[in-house]
Amino acid sequence: MEKQKSAMTGKSKPVRTRKAIVVGRPLEVAETARLNAITQQCNGPSETLAPKVRQQTPAVGQRAPRPDGRLHGLGETKYIDDMSFPGMLYCKIKRAGIASALIRRIDTREAEAMPGVMAIITGKDIPVNSFGPSIADQPVLAFERVFHAGDGVAAVAAVTEQIALDALEMIKVEYEALPAVFDPAEAMKDGAPKVHPPSSNIYASRLIKKGDVQKGFRDSYRIFENTYSTQMVEHVPIEPHCSIAAWDSNGRLTIHSTLGRITLGRTDIARTLQLPINRIRLVATIVGGNFGGKNEITQEPALAVLSRRTGRPVKGTFTRTEEFTATTTRHPVVMRYKTGVSKEGKILARKVHLVLDGGAYCSWSETTLGKACILSPGPYNIDNVHSEAFVVYTNKTMTGAMRGFGAPQVCFAYESQMDEIAEALNIDPLEIRMRNAFTEGSSSPTGQVLHSVVVRESLVQAAERYGWKEARK
Amino acid sequence: MKKRGRGIACMWYPIGFTVAANPSAAVVKVNEDGTAIVLTGTVETGQGSLTVLGQIAAEELGIAPDDVHVVSADTDTTPMDTGAIASRTTYVTGNAVRFAAAKAKELLFQVAAPMLGVKPEQLEARDRRIQVKNYPQRNIGIGEAAHQAQFAMGQPALGSASFNPATVALDPETGQGKPFATYVYATQIADVDVDDETGEVQVLRVVASHDCGVAINPMLVEGQIEGGISMGVGFALHEEMLFDTSGRQLNPNLTNYIMPTSLDMPEIEIDIVKNFEPTGPFGAKGVGEPTAVPTAAAIMNAVYDAVGARVYSLPATSEKVLAAINAAKTKQLPTPRQKRIAAR
Repeated sequence: MEKQKSAMTGKSKPVRTRKAIVVGRPLEVAETARLNAITQQCNGPSETLAPKVRQQTPAVGQRAPRPDGRLHGLGETKYIDDMSFPGMLYCKIKRAGIASALIRRIDTREAEAMPGVMAIITGKDIPVNSFGPSIADQPVLAFERVFHAGDGVAAVAAVTEQIALDALEMIKVEYEALPAVFDPAEAMKDGAPKVHPPSSNIYASRLIKKGDVQKGFRDSYRIFENTYSTQMVEHVPIEPHCSIAAWDSNGRLTIHSTLGRITLGRTDIARTLQLPINRIRLVATIVGGNFGGKNEITQEPALAVLSRRTGRPVKGTFTRTEEFTATTTRHPVVMRYKTGVSKEGKILARKVHLVLDGGAYCSWSETTLGKACILSPGPYNIDNVHSEAFVVYTNKTMTGAMRGFGAPQVCFAYESQMDEIAEALNIDPLEIRMRNAFTEGSSSPTGQVLHSVVVRESLVQAAERYGWKEARK
Repeated sequence: MKKRGRGIACMWYPIGFTVAANPSAAVVKVNEDGTAIVLTGTVETGQGSLTVLGQIAAEELGIAPDDVHVVSADTDTTPMDTGAIASRTTYVTGNAVRFAAAKAKELLFQVAAPMLGVKPEQLEARDRRIQVKNYPQRNIGIGEAAHQAQFAMGQPALGSASFNPATVALDPETGQGKPFATYVYATQIADVDVDDETGEVQVLRVVASHDCGVAINPMLVEGQIEGGISMGVGFALHEEMLFDTSGRQLNPNLTNYIMPTSLDMPEIEIDIVKNFEPTGPFGAKGVGEPTAVPTAAAIMNAVYDAVGARVYSLPATSEKVLAAINAAKTKQLPTPRQKRIAAR
């Protein structure tokens, strides 16, 4: 009764009383009491975690607590790095540290002779040493050529992580430095060093055309032109990339992995290892943060080959540094916007030019390019649109999928320009958006008739919640 | 001196892949006591997708979230899924789960119909019971039907289904077409303080109004929005991977790569816009990525509102903001805020 009361009033006193009671009790009782106390804390005071919500029907619309929430809270969730298997080895990868080079020689003899080092492999040991969701331009381990400083060139399996790290120091790699290019604008020029010769550095483009922008600009009362740019950022999941590969005696491979997309990851692993798909099992648990960064394989084929060589399970866990240098990142984008408007602030024409820094490999760049291009005019009714986007190789860390696929970048550009237009025409920023925003049945830049459109409703609701129209000091 | 400013930004964002097929398959098994198991190839990434999928299965079967257990993330046991990418899980995998559950339910209705003396199409599943539409007093427990299906009829109730969003390829010349099945919309408004002597920006408050169709679980939608805003704050003000002239990273660590912490987080106020998407599971669309889309734009518009200086390249570090303030000062233009006050 008292417990229920406390749940209603939100006071936490009974929890403290319980803690006091459990002192000196047998372990089991104490443990039960502790769990009860934690449960009570989780389910009790908060209004949003109404007791028994998970037992109610109908199910949709309920603020049902997550079944995994309790496990997280109690520290019971097993992430991949929490797992361990008998005889398991640890893998570390030697990173190039040079952005563009030919690999002349990799000497692993000294490292191999170290006690505790069980196997070392290079790119030549991966049956098909390439992968990528749309263009298979990424090696599992760079061989013959290095495309960015974070490329792996050799992988070591050792009985401890420390021995594996020490072995990396003993691997000798001879490089012949090649010209490199880091700025996408430079990379687009004729005569720029080619990142993946003989391919052009511009590896994908997209064009969206609707109406006649030139006519739109001619009819415009004012034209606004500006360039916006964004930076490279990392997903920074709390859990780094981690996988464990092990084979059974029937030649079946099991990989426990932090990969977020297991069925497609399995396809890539089958291709790189030249294995039938039914001989691969990919098991994940709960990904400790993905945000697009765990959408494709990284070290898994190398771990599988090392495990095959040694006959023992092999685990690889990326360091925080590797999370930055050897996994995908968000595309920096340079965005040129030219917008023509009427006196009333109605957008008549918009021309957009986007250059995405693709880094060393394609990864999910084509998707990012497409979404950025399609979304770049913003959620506005514009009859005349011309949006052109290019993604360019540079000798930097590869860019790929990241929460928003180019949308946060173009939103920064189109919404900055919207406010510039509003100020110049002396129109309230909310009002100018209301005048231009999509409504039910609007036609998108690709000519798609849009349904369940509530951009105006969201504008009004946010403005009301904020108190946009109320006078401020 | 600290100057206060406000900024607004709205956005649109699609659900699923750009034209390319991105299917999900699902299996729903109803146990002989009326509880259920869902098999999905997607992986929980911390956003609560398995909870949402469980709620969708429960809704279709007329049972409660706790009556459903979701098995995921094992290629040996779970069916094909494109995965937690492109804000697609609730919409695409959710539809697959819903259709799979509907198939299992159909089997239960075939068993229950003769027991209740009606045709299967006259039945509905609600509150853990299978009942006659418009005559709910006439019902049997879903467990009773499931038990009967398995042990008397020898036909355990299970279903499998897949779903792929409907799209039309883009014309290669003009880019015209239907690249996505549906889109979501959102507005965020930010309040900031800008120190005009140091250029430091502090985000004080973000009001977020997001469309996700019907919210299958509003609490998880709110969680996504809060997480998205934290990424947006980092994108706007702090985070940047830096390279030296030879292409090596300068700050590949959390000491020198600055992420927002709880101390940088603004007060967040959330509204879920009322909406219903006919092609989504129970009207749902999705919410994952879009939450991170308008935040930086709203913050940067607020910075301009505060000090009349616009930063054109992210992140808007204190140095960049201060440089923009100094450049604006030389022009001696009134800030939008000063103009508003002057107008009154």
